[in-house]
Amino acid sequence: MNRFNVRLLVAAILPALGGAQEAAEFFRQNCVSCHTIGGGRLTGPDLKDVGQRKDPAWLTRFLMNPQGMINSGDAYALQLQQQARGVVMPTVQGMNKARAEALLGLIEAESKLEKSQFIGLQISDRPFTGEDIEQGRRMFRGTRKLLNGGPPCISCHTMKDLGGLGGGRLAPDLTRVFERLEGRKNLASWLFAPATPTMQPIFRKHPLDANEALLLVALFEDSAKRGGQDDSVALLNFFFLALGGAVIGLAACDAAWKRRFRAVRRPLVRGMELTR
Amino acid sequence: MNVRSQISMVFHLDKCIGCHTCSIACKNIWTDRKGTEYMWWNNVETKPGTGYPTQWENQDKYSGGWETHNGDLRLKSTGKGKIVFNIFHNPHQPSMDDYYEPWTYDYQELFNAPEGPDQPTARPVSMVTGELINIQSGPNWDDDLGGSKVYAENDPNLAGLSDEQRAQLSAVERLVFFYFPRICNHCLNPACVAACPSGALYKRGEDGIVLLDQKRCRAWRSCVAACPYKKVFYNWFTGKSEKCILCFPRIETGQAPACFHSCVGRIRYLGVLLYDADRIEEAAKRPPEELVEAQRSIILDPFDPVVIAEARANGVHESVIESAQKSPVYQFVKIWKIALPPHIEYGTLPMLFYVPPMSPVMATKEGNTIDHTSEDLFHDIDESRVPMKFLANLFGAGHEGKVRYALRKQKAVRWYRRAVTVGDVPMSTAEHMLREADSTVEEAEAIYRLTSLCTFDDRFVIPPSHREEAIQMLESPEEHRQSAGFGFLSGPRRGI
Repeated sequence: MNRFNVRLLVAAILPALGGAQEAAEFFRQNCVSCHTIGGGRLTGPDLKDVGQRKDPAWLTRFLMNPQGMINSGDAYALQLQQQARGVVMPTVQGMNKARAEALLGLIEAESKLEKSQFIGLQISDRPFTGEDIEQGRRMFRGTRKLLNGGPPCISCHTMKDLGGLGGGRLAPDLTRVFERLEGRKNLASWLFAPATPTMQPIFRKHPLDANEALLLVALFEDSAKRGGQDDSVALLNFFFLALGGAVIGLAACDAAWKRRFRAVRRPLVRGMELTR
Repeated sequence: MNVRSQISMVFHLDKCIGCHTCSIACKNIWTDRKGTEYMWWNNVETKPGTGYPTQWENQDKYSGGWETHNGDLRLKSTGKGKIVFNIFHNPHQPSMDDYYEPWTYDYQELFNAPEGPDQPTARPVSMVTGELINIQSGPNWDDDLGGSKVYAENDPNLAGLSDEQRAQLSAVERLVFFYFPRICNHCLNPACVAACPSGALYKRGEDGIVLLDQKRCRAWRSCVAACPYKKVFYNWFTGKSEKCILCFPRIETGQAPACFHSCVGRIRYLGVLLYDADRIEEAAKRPPEELVEAQRSIILDPFDPVVIAEARANGVHESVIESAQKSPVYQFVKIWKIALPPHIEYGTLPMLFYVPPMSPVMATKEGNTIDHTSEDLFHDIDESRVPMKFLANLFGAGHEGKVRYALRKQKAVRWYRRAVTVGDVPMSTAEHMLREADSTVEEAEAIYRLTSLCTFDDRFVIPPSHREEAIQMLESPEEHRQSAGFGFLSGPRRGI
């Protein structure tokens, strides 16, 4: 047996040997941002006893190509997408048949436990205080740093009564996000594991702490209660500030280069024509 | 003492007839290429007038030359700090309109125009855009027509003249003008060299000719702004600046530069001066009224044994020292003191000197008779039509003393020669005048000879360039001889 064949053999056997261990690690890295096992739905559904809802063959196929299943018009897949408010489960990198089956095995095993290790974030029900809201606002603005080094909300989002020039315009206005995401638990789950293509890669590496998510929820609950939207005054302010800045900048350049060369001959001729 | 040699020039304005032959000679040799159409390395201006480019003497606008700041010389237009902030745009850059938009004519129009009641004309076409244009100005607009009301009255040298003097310059029957031919002054303290961030400009060690390395130029155009005489030009086609090279290929082969060679009035003189390079900065820092004298003082006596020894020690060739001893420029500038530098207040210590022009006597017209205020043909120079102050602004940094001295000596020479050849002036009067003008009969005779009877060899004392020695430093002369001659600048080579 040559060396190449040995390598192949090792590659084939190793996953089988450390199967359960490897599957749990894979789940932690790729699934928990959207799924729990026995902890209620986040973006994706609670996977407890998923094996009883659909047969393993279907689940394996779905795991390997979620977008393909939706495109093929599979009724259950479409229903899942609807429940996830239109978010399509991404095709996880490194997914293959063996791995999918290992994951299903893991889910089945975890479902039997009274409390799975993947139960997810459990958010407190305590009523929010003014201090919570204030801390939430500080985090939104970035005056209080996020524990794991994530960027503050304001760099992409804005909301009502933020003061100054408002926040970023890249992402949606978050004034009423509490209503859109239907309450404390869902919003907190979203914050804990945001599922949009922009936020996911950032916050996977720098997740919010449970307490931080709670404080932000406090802020969003409060702002939703007040209602309204980020008003356009900030936008107008921004416009005037830019305009004023440009004018001041040009005036400063004009002053700095006051002695620059301007045309000589043309004004000379024109000046004499005027005085004649 | 750090003795160096410099090829310097004298233009005798009293002899210039304003024919522009020099300009054309230069144009035909050097600046008839694409991108150089608007350049006139040699141009002839009519004074009073605004010149080329328009009002180049107005340094409030053009920011050329040097200024003293806390006892230090510094460029008006740029500096180590300033250049950082002006890196993307040079704020003192003249526009093409201030030179003029070069044009040619569509001569086809003369033949192809449809028949009509008027004469067909050749229509002017821009040499830059190729479009038909209305000519707004030209390189000699003061003289061409231009409406001199506009141009002549805005001559920066009119500063300090009374309204009466100004009116006198342009009144009919008193009208006066003279010609002012200009080339690169090959200054001792050149602002263009100091301004270049790329080090492309340099003053040649052996003869002081200021040159611009076309391979090093990076189109910063700091030289264009810094030169107060506006004698460095930007070639918009090659993206390099260019300037007068004093026809160094001609000089190196013993010929006078083209503009000198072709001069109809024989106004141009060329010769070597020895100067003390250690005292350039000190001289350039002097207050305006002392500048002319300061520059003269760093020009050294080529007969002085100390100077000769120092020159030899500095590697100045024996033949160059001999040439300096025969230099007509040395006579005009240092001995006779009748040639003066133009606008020495710019601080560049120009090495082209002008003999200021004599002008007709003032006259008034009453009815049909013209009345000269002075009965003498050789009137008092203070009553000449060109106000002394005007010439002082041009050649004396605003101070009349040196200009008056030069004109008085010229006038005395004329009286002396009148006494000799015509005899209607008593010789005693002529000699008295010479004494008053700080001159002697011998000097007057010498001035007369070099002014009126000068031959080619009197006017142009060109030092040998000793190219054989320069070649020997780099390669064997035998090998060089085989590869020299007409042909490619970079010869053909085997391979792709």
